Amino acid sequence: MSAVAFRGVAKRYGASEALLPLDLEIASGEFISLLGPSGSGKSTLLNICAGFIEPTAGSLFVAGRDVTALPARRRNIGMVFQNYALFPHLDVFENVAYGLRVRKIARAELEQRVEDALRTVRLDGFGARSVISLSGGQQQRVALARAMVIEPDILLMDEPLGALDKQLRKEVQIEIRRMHVARPRTTLYVTHDQEEALVMSDRIAVLSGGRLVQLGTARELYSRPVDGFVARFLGESNLIVGRVAQLQDGRATLSVDGFSSPIEGYAAQGLRMAEAACALIRPEHVRLVAGGRQARVVERIFLGEIVALRLVLPSGVELWSRLFSSDAPAGDQIEIGWDRERVSILPETS
Amino acid sequence: MTGAWTKAFAALLAAAIVMPVLAVAPLAFSEQSFLVLPPRTWSLRWWSVFFADASWLRALLTSLEVAALSCLLSVAAGTSAALGLQALGPRARALATGLFLGPMVAPVIVLAVGLYALARSFGLVGSTLGLVLAHTMLALPYVVLNVGVSVAALDPRLALAASGLGAGPGRVFRTVTWPAILPGVMGGGVFAFVTSFDEVVLAVFLAGPSVKTLPVRIWEEVRTEYTPVVAVAATIMIILAVIGSAMGRFATRRSA
Repeated sequence: MSAVAFRGVAKRYGASEALLPLDLEIASGEFISLLGPSGSGKSTLLNICAGFIEPTAGSLFVAGRDVTALPARRRNIGMVFQNYALFPHLDVFENVAYGLRVRKIARAELEQRVEDALRTVRLDGFGARSVISLSGGQQQRVALARAMVIEPDILLMDEPLGALDKQLRKEVQIEIRRMHVARPRTTLYVTHDQEEALVMSDRIAVLSGGRLVQLGTARELYSRPVDGFVARFLGESNLIVGRVAQLQDGRATLSVDGFSSPIEGYAAQGLRMAEAACALIRPEHVRLVAGGRQARVVERIFLGEIVALRLVLPSGVELWSRLFSSDAPAGDQIEIGWDRERVSILPETS
Repeated sequence: MTGAWTKAFAALLAAAIVMPVLAVAPLAFSEQSFLVLPPRTWSLRWWSVFFADASWLRALLTSLEVAALSCLLSVAAGTSAALGLQALGPRARALATGLFLGPMVAPVIVLAVGLYALARSFGLVGSTLGLVLAHTMLALPYVVLNVGVSVAALDPRLALAASGLGAGPGRVFRTVTWPAILPGVMGGGVFAFVTSFDEVVLAVFLAGPSVKTLPVRIWEEVRTEYTPVVAVAATIMIILAVIGSAMGRFATRRSA
């Protein structure tokens, strides 16, 4: 049985659809990221789960029980907000203890559980400190401890690292991952940062325009995106526009204006013969191949062990290639190619 | 050169502002029977007169009682109003806020005439209740404004976080909302107290022989006898006002 199940959950504000009917099942102990640009519906979905927003259709099941009509306070859910939302007049200990006091936990057990939670987020000894005196990263860890200490059926995080600077974000990211590995909790994590989603998630749900576009592991999403949107959103990508020339046995070929030979690759769902589509070739798969397609180097960006090359093909198509710096060619006229097993032909997305 | 002129002007302005206040205090310690500046000899004579006169003491106590009651009433009503206003949509809120701040902009004499007519028909002229209600109305805008600032600064996600942790509406208010707006409530309360304590126009209209606030008593005294006992009463009012505003400062400082 799944820990959390969304069944046809949708949200509409007047005429605008914030969230189209969506099904999503989360296994117990699974860490799922909701990834998408702003306005994609990811925060709406999270707030529906928390009970802060009422869905206009569908049902939500948590631990087998239909909680759709329950108010937030009866759901046993741990929520971590982007701006921490710590209680400023309470010290660290009382912030973490808040949910336990509501649940009337006896003093000895309460103190033990708060201490344990603070140790988990590496803030032992901070109990008597004022939350206002803490740094952003420490405040977010208090918020984490406060959400985890009540042993929620599901942990919800709404861009929890959004207010931190880059360096700190990486540290807390790894901290959250470490805690999840040590003690897996069912988690729904909202982010617009693809790297965050890649580092932490068991599975990633990509949303766009209120629609769940693809759900899968990071590897699946990266190597077999369902469309150009997902391809662009996760990782760097070259997308070459053309027309489907052949389609059979899960393979497709794409004819491109100005290309002497078509591009062959794995066929995604939803392709139609002779219709517009695009070929996805990741920059790291564009390699130097003697006797391959002609290309001219128009830009080189040195990134340490990697060098990124911007290439222009005779047809005018632009491609990025990422090569080990040691393999980078000296001249500007090079010959390139790619492994057709690494190429995906994807339906056009508007 | 400009610096010196600016300083001189600032000093002159400051002197003009505090002059009446500074003038009153020495008068209270005068030996003479008339209000003359500067006093030629000093004494506490008029302080004894003040505290020996039951009518002065009664006026002081009436003032304190009316101020305390209208402070309580306006804090209760104003805090509820400020919380309610926050829950309204932007247009309704602007309209309702304007309504609540009305007593602040309306000419006091107009309010006084209207309230006098109302109080007469309810038999409230010359009663403590009438004065308390009138002063509550006058003090309400200060509470709504002060608490409103605290309410607006309150992160709505704090209440969400508390309810997500299992707290019901009552507990959310007690443990999250109330502590956050308390400085605003205290500040508003001090303003309300001071507003009522030094209010004279409504009090002149609504006072009666048995219910008379200190400012009304001073007003009557000045018109008949004009002795330094008036300065004593005024000095007492200044001291209480200073204590009040210091408390208000302290209350709002703690929130920052």
